[in-house]
Amino acid sequence: MTPKSASTGPSRRSFLASTAVATAAVAGGMPLLAACGGSDDGSREGATSGKAADKLLPAYVPSKVADPDIPSKNGSAAGYTSKVELAALTASVPNRLGTGAPVRIMSPFWGTPPKAGCAYYQGVDEAAGTKITWQNQNGNTYGEKLGAVLASSSIPDMVVLPSWENVGKTAHAVTAKFMDLGPYLAGDKVKKYPNLAAIPSDAWRMGIFGGALRGIPIPAPATTFIVPYYRKDIFDKKGYSLPKSADEFLSWAKDVTSAKAKVYACGDLAWISGNIFGAMPGWNLDPDGKVRFGIERPEYLEALEWTRKLYDAGVVHPDDKASAGDPVQRFTAGQILVWTSDMSAWYARAAEQAQANPEFEIDAMDLFGADGGNPSMYASNPANIWSLIRKGASKETVENALAAANFAAAPYGTKERMLVDYGVEGTHFTVRDGVPAKTDQGNSEVINAWAMLAGPAPYVAHPDLPDIARKQVEWQQRMGAFMKKTSTYGLNIVEPTRYANIHTPFDQLQRDYVRGHKKLADVQAAISTWKSSGGEKLRDWYKELFDKNGSGN
Amino acid sequence: MSLTAGSRAGGTRPPAAVEEPTAAVTTAARKTRAPRGARKAGKVPWRIRLRRDRALILMIFPVILLLLLFNYVPLLGNVVAFQDYDPYSSSNGIAAIFHSPWVGVEQFSRMFEDPLFWDATQNTLVLFVLQLVLFFPVPIVLALVINSVVRPRVRAVAQAIMYLPHFFSWVLVITVFQQILGGAGILAQTLEAHGWSGFDLMTDADLFKCLVTAQAVWKDAGWGIIVFLAALSAVSTDLYEAAAMDGAGRWRRMWHVTLPALRPVIALLLVLRVGDALSVGFEQYLLQRNAVGAGAAEVLDTYVWNMGIQNGDFSYAAAVGLAKGLIAVGLVLGANKFAHLLGEQGVYKK
Amino acid sequence: MSLNTQLIRSLRAPARPVWEEPPSKAGLTAKGGFLLLACLGVLGPLWIVIVTSLSPKPVIDRVGGLVVIPQGITFVNYTELLSGGQVSRAIMVSIGVTLFGTLFSMAVSVLAAYGLSRPGSLGHRFFLMTMMATMFFGAGLIPTYLLVQSLGLTDTYLSLVLPSAVSVFNILVLRAFFMGISPELTESARIDGASDLRILLTIIMPLSRAVLAVISLFYAVGYWSAWFNASIYLTDQEMMPLQNVLIQLVQKNTEAPTGLQQAVRTGQLSSLGLQMAVMVLALIPVAVASPFVQRHFKKGMLTGAVKG
Repeated sequence: MTPKSASTGPSRRSFLASTAVATAAVAGGMPLLAACGGSDDGSREGATSGKAADKLLPAYVPSKVADPDIPSKNGSAAGYTSKVELAALTASVPNRLGTGAPVRIMSPFWGTPPKAGCAYYQGVDEAAGTKITWQNQNGNTYGEKLGAVLASSSIPDMVVLPSWENVGKTAHAVTAKFMDLGPYLAGDKVKKYPNLAAIPSDAWRMGIFGGALRGIPIPAPATTFIVPYYRKDIFDKKGYSLPKSADEFLSWAKDVTSAKAKVYACGDLAWISGNIFGAMPGWNLDPDGKVRFGIERPEYLEALEWTRKLYDAGVVHPDDKASAGDPVQRFTAGQILVWTSDMSAWYARAAEQAQANPEFEIDAMDLFGADGGNPSMYASNPANIWSLIRKGASKETVENALAAANFAAAPYGTKERMLVDYGVEGTHFTVRDGVPAKTDQGNSEVINAWAMLAGPAPYVAHPDLPDIARKQVEWQQRMGAFMKKTSTYGLNIVEPTRYANIHTPFDQLQRDYVRGHKKLADVQAAISTWKSSGGEKLRDWYKELFDKNGSGN
Repeated sequence: MSLTAGSRAGGTRPPAAVEEPTAAVTTAARKTRAPRGARKAGKVPWRIRLRRDRALILMIFPVILLLLLFNYVPLLGNVVAFQDYDPYSSSNGIAAIFHSPWVGVEQFSRMFEDPLFWDATQNTLVLFVLQLVLFFPVPIVLALVINSVVRPRVRAVAQAIMYLPHFFSWVLVITVFQQILGGAGILAQTLEAHGWSGFDLMTDADLFKCLVTAQAVWKDAGWGIIVFLAALSAVSTDLYEAAAMDGAGRWRRMWHVTLPALRPVIALLLVLRVGDALSVGFEQYLLQRNAVGAGAAEVLDTYVWNMGIQNGDFSYAAAVGLAKGLIAVGLVLGANKFAHLLGEQGVYKK
Repeated sequence: MSLNTQLIRSLRAPARPVWEEPPSKAGLTAKGGFLLLACLGVLGPLWIVIVTSLSPKPVIDRVGGLVVIPQGITFVNYTELLSGGQVSRAIMVSIGVTLFGTLFSMAVSVLAAYGLSRPGSLGHRFFLMTMMATMFFGAGLIPTYLLVQSLGLTDTYLSLVLPSAVSVFNILVLRAFFMGISPELTESARIDGASDLRILLTIIMPLSRAVLAVISLFYAVGYWSAWFNASIYLTDQEMMPLQNVLIQLVQKNTEAPTGLQQAVRTGQLSSLGLQMAVMVLALIPVAVASPFVQRHFKKGMLTGAVKG
């Protein structure tokens, strides 16, 4: 089922309507600045935290529907590895909460949206008592559409906002155009919507915009890390052992790379280099009482230099250097042996290759410290996608929108979850030996509309490949043991917009530096420019913020 | 009526001038005629001109209306270049203009201080010159070759094939180039097998500008021949026949008949191309920026995209857009002047 | 040269006029070689595209990119693209928008081009400048969207036509050709009292078939391949034109940027293969349209007309 654990890692945005670019954007993203992505969400300047935030939050009533086979630990998702028994599914929404009042929802969509009134939309609407008109928009150009729609005077009743589209002044739009849900959800009021009440408070806290609870979150586990995948089948066949330090990795990579055979050790590894070298992302309050930003730390440059060594040694596939083509294809073709992506790729690749290429075996490498010690993992934000309800919506509209969100947040093991993720039994999926499989109609109708509205506490379940679910949770737990929280963890911070653009040059600069198009001196120069053009001011601003709110760690 | 004809004579040329003398006479006539200002200085009152030309004005009207509505009205939105515009500060984006603070030329000074803006401007201009020299003549040559092919079937097939790449998206063109010229491409593999390693044309920042020009030629040169073919089809066969009767060979006919016929079109397209120069190949550069670095591949359009649209900084995007427009107008005025020096009409008359 | 050989030559190469000297062997070879090279430069990559679009996913995965040598054939990419009625409906939408849009654009453009073809007419320079300025300054996305919305055009097909109906470039090209038509041709009609509209319809347009064909083609191709307006102005999926549906189809198999659930199509489809199939489908209108357009490019079409 839906690996919620895999909800996006670093903030990213695929900008052109093409597969190649979308995947290139994934491959080229930067973990080192990830905290920038995290820090530009929120609303008016500042953040709401501590007691002030707690007052706004809904009460937390955990779900008792189905105990996970592997409980959450170290910030991991919960894992379900048993079979699906339709008869054993419970109902988390015994009474339909919707009253059938029409609700218009705009949401990003990847793939071809099904027709309005298709069997899936009808089926879920009927079960939830809602009447939703979907305005599914192409996920890759969602930002443009969102900007235009928010600036117009006709905003849909409910709008899904991913954090990577929350750039520039969008946070202002959230406070200006969307309502405070406090009157409907704060404290015990949420108990009317049991599945929303089961969303962990950390995730809800991310939904505070401009001092009010406005966003219904899709929770993500703190262990949403970028995963270094490797081709276990090829490693086993060739007898390679997993590298345990930065130097070991480089020398292993040199050994296995053979341009003649068109085999390269890896794709772009910039995403994990920060973990290996312990480069702390974003703003942090250090033990010495000073506030520092990620790019000012020596580890930042060390991580970049190591990544550059990989490029210089020619162990990175040339197409990755050119950011061309599809890294996934190179990995499944065995042209690269190590490849980084988010957690969802584990199941996606395994399932996709199961029939076509039975030898294919994907596994995740444990991250290591540069010198062979422990890696440094930093907790990621507990939510990255919100749904918002328009200011001025009628009470009935709001209640129907919340009913829809409540339905979408149904935990694993419920009829509602099954309906949202798989559709109607017999029409959209069939179950054989406890493994549900989508029909053709299911594949074309049940894609990702409802799942964007809200989500339950993070979990992983793949009834067809339970082993993958187990490995995913175990990897998260092993890596989660090394996890630290940054000072900005779990805070929905809005920086003053006048400094919003001082970080932007680094994204490209890093890419250019590791590929050998810029010199280290260029990066160092950019860092001092950054300091003088607002970095120091921003440091003072954060110092004040941490003094006032306390830090997240 | 005679006035109309008279005022038109200077601006219009017969499609082809066969013999040099005729052309020379036309040019000379144009040079000696009264300066335009004097003619305009009100020999004909505007009322009479209005009555005379009202049909023409009515014909222009629909286009002007559409442009006013869809180009000029939203263009007013560019005032946000002088603001710190927050489109969400009021009930809708238009009202928000009145709620956003005015910041004068701050966006422009930000732009001038950003080294990346200057990189982008320089890259844009260099690429423009390269494309002008290396790309622009290719469709003309192709059109001449195709036009000289007599067999209709060969002609049709060759033409149809050459149009095709225009319909490939840039993603695909770059994928194909990568597969052939990239570090793991067909060429690199072949060289590797013969002991030459490290060939990778696609990430070479120094050769990037030539590479993108080659890509542009591959994709769009075939499409570019269409206008020239249309111009060539307007050349009367009689002119060729007359020239052939006078003993002009193949090359002389091309020189004295074909090229003069193409000259006005070439001049027009050249000027228009110059105006378009700053907007050429946005997607092409965006897709390859990571391969060679922003220093080599950032152009003004990708810069606007990244700084403005991508980061939601509408005011800054508007400011850079205005600057780009000014540069383009300057280039066009220059190119038009150049066309006049060559004795061509260009886009508009002096 | 005997009459006989001349006859034979004219049979072999029917269009070669009598006055044209026979081509030299070297010239022919050079020309042929040049054309052949140019065509191969296009056909080579096209071959790779077609082969990849027809390759099964395991082959594409094994090669790890575009497939050059065919190893097995499947039409699954095409059947996937064309199944479900969505694409066929979108094709109808695209054809409708393209036809209507091209007609509308041609009508206003031809009128404007003729209206501007007489330098010295009242407001000539002003109108020309007004039009040209739009080529250099663009309005932002938001103002344009707000305008289209306040005109009530969002979620209508008019929003795909009106905002982009005028291409100043095309008008200028038309105008240049109209101006190139010798004035003597229209003079007699004018003296007979024909109106400008009549002159345009009965004299100018018949003489400008080639350029009218070219500009129609430019407009049609523009409408056919446009997708951005639809993605911004339309919300109803049923209304989407072909390009938008193809883009969405191609993205079906990509890693969703959110990492949220995707319909994983086990072992059947490769995103690269689908993309290539989309490319091939996108070429079909060209193949259909080019014979019609090329008809108008015959050498010396205006023979006689200009002679006066």
